Amino acid sequence: MVNPVLLIVVPLGLAFSLPLFGLISKKIIKFIPVVAFIFNLIVSSLLIPKVLDHPIVISIGGFPPPFCINLVAGPVGILFSTLIAMIGLLVSIYALSYIKEGPEEKYHILYLLLLTGATGVVLTGDIFNLFVFFEIVCISSYSLVAYKGDKAGVESAVKYLIQGSVGSSFLLIGIGLLYGIFGTLNMADIAQNITSISPLSIFVPLVLIITGLGVEAAIFPLNSWLPDAHSSAPSSISAILSGIAIEVGLYAVVRVIFTIFGGSSNIFMFLLFLGILTLLMGEMSAFSQNNIKRMLAYSSIGQIGLIVFAFGIATSNAVTGGLFQLVSHTLTKALLFLAVGYMIRRTGSMDISTFEGIGKRMPFTSLAFTIGAFSIVGLPPFIGFPSKFLIVRAALAKESLLFTVLIGFVLLGTVIEGAYFFRVVQSIYFRGGVDNPGRKEAPFAVLIPMFILVILIIGIGIYPNLIIRMLKSAASELLNRFDYIRSVLG
Amino acid sequence: MNLLSNGVNFLNNYIYYIGAFGLVFIGLCIILIKRNLIKVIIGLSILDTGVNLFLISVGYISKGTAPIFSKHGLDSARMVDPVPQALVLTAIVIGVAVLALALSLAIRLYHHYGTLNLRKIKEQRW
Repeated sequence: MVNPVLLIVVPLGLAFSLPLFGLISKKIIKFIPVVAFIFNLIVSSLLIPKVLDHPIVISIGGFPPPFCINLVAGPVGILFSTLIAMIGLLVSIYALSYIKEGPEEKYHILYLLLLTGATGVVLTGDIFNLFVFFEIVCISSYSLVAYKGDKAGVESAVKYLIQGSVGSSFLLIGIGLLYGIFGTLNMADIAQNITSISPLSIFVPLVLIITGLGVEAAIFPLNSWLPDAHSSAPSSISAILSGIAIEVGLYAVVRVIFTIFGGSSNIFMFLLFLGILTLLMGEMSAFSQNNIKRMLAYSSIGQIGLIVFAFGIATSNAVTGGLFQLVSHTLTKALLFLAVGYMIRRTGSMDISTFEGIGKRMPFTSLAFTIGAFSIVGLPPFIGFPSKFLIVRAALAKESLLFTVLIGFVLLGTVIEGAYFFRVVQSIYFRGGVDNPGRKEAPFAVLIPMFILVILIIGIGIYPNLIIRMLKSAASELLNRFDYIRSVLG
Repeated sequence: MNLLSNGVNFLNNYIYYIGAFGLVFIGLCIILIKRNLIKVIIGLSILDTGVNLFLISVGYISKGTAPIFSKHGLDSARMVDPVPQALVLTAIVIGVAVLALALSLAIRLYHHYGTLNLRKIKEQRW
């Protein structure tokens, strides 16, 4: 059997031994992340069939679960770790030719650490361990935002750091309170005993933990760092931050609410409204942007709102839809940021108006951007359609006026989204082009990851059953918390 | 008289929690109010210290012993819980890393803007 610990240990070891490889040759450094994530992708995909049978629980140190730190590789964990490994691999291939200046060695170390931390967050079964991995993600993303060292990057990194570390402190206080109440840090053990305590005394830790995690998950009132950080980071990092880092924060919020606290209808109602607020706020701010990366960053906020909304409905179909939307957002937003990265490099500006006529200069990159834009809006042959469709169907299946009204707001958000994405697509293809400076496509190594993402987006969009079984069992892991507790504690 | 002894009892039992949350609130106030980035970072550090003190006090027993059976007659009920101490060690290390990063970013920011006043550094806006 393949041990899920390898998913964390191998990239972590490679990250810290990377300077040693640098002593041998400076040229092989940038291939190390590629190797690490090929390994992770293989291990994760080997684990998928086993995990669909029953979750794998690894106890570290040889003690039985409540007394040790354990890893739980359930369907949710492996779904996320596969996704992280896949996006990590594609973006590291992209970075082979994208990252040329600056301290490259440090970039690759931090990049490996960021994704190792993300893998750790989704696999761990211990709430303090979750905090530690979460901090690895946060610290490496603070420094990667400032990688270019320019004015905008440093300023947004400082903003991100201050908000992020206040959030982490709240998270830690919440964890401390939980430990004070239950005397254990094992998530399954806390979940088992949570009903024995009055709801009032677990309310404070719940609020603190959700606030702390919400900063990284970019839930509405806590997300003012996101547009700055995502727009001033290098594009490969924007793709990771938008595609992985927020999703991991969201995973942690969902895990805490669904598994540990076993959400009540009040919490789900709170999530619904939070989701709608985040969605509308994100989409409306994105509509008024002239900077393409800020527009994409605000669109990420909107998508996160939609996913939170789906989890707030909390039926089996809705949670499946939420996870599907999460996968679709990861693939699509990574593709959009990667495509935009080279378009910005060619035009030298992030302003949307400078992209006029770039469809003729960079046909493949523009095509990739267009497919990403169509998919995120939710047009049929692409992955965004089945995911949004599942969420809308699940909301309408509740057959109450409230959900019908809320789904109206979701569709309104989608219309706004369509408006600003189509505006960009229009200016890429149908404007300008009088002074055509000749064709200059992005290099081959950059086109490969975009091509693979496009294939995935169209493939899953046409045949969603490819991943729907995985998503369904992940949703049932989240909804049936007693199965989770039983599989960990035996 | 009774009230006074109640008060003293309360203080005796909860003084660490009062101190810890006091530090947390002081830290938060500094972060929210101060304009100088270095002072904000000091606020972060105080906030961290408050959280660490809180974690320690969760497992603290007055006049307790270390959780090791080093000699005969040690009562396991009087041992201090070792888990929060392990948590605090980890939290301190994380705090140091964040602090170091924050300070180095502050140096970079000063090179770019020539000031650390956060009210004057606002090129990135909504």
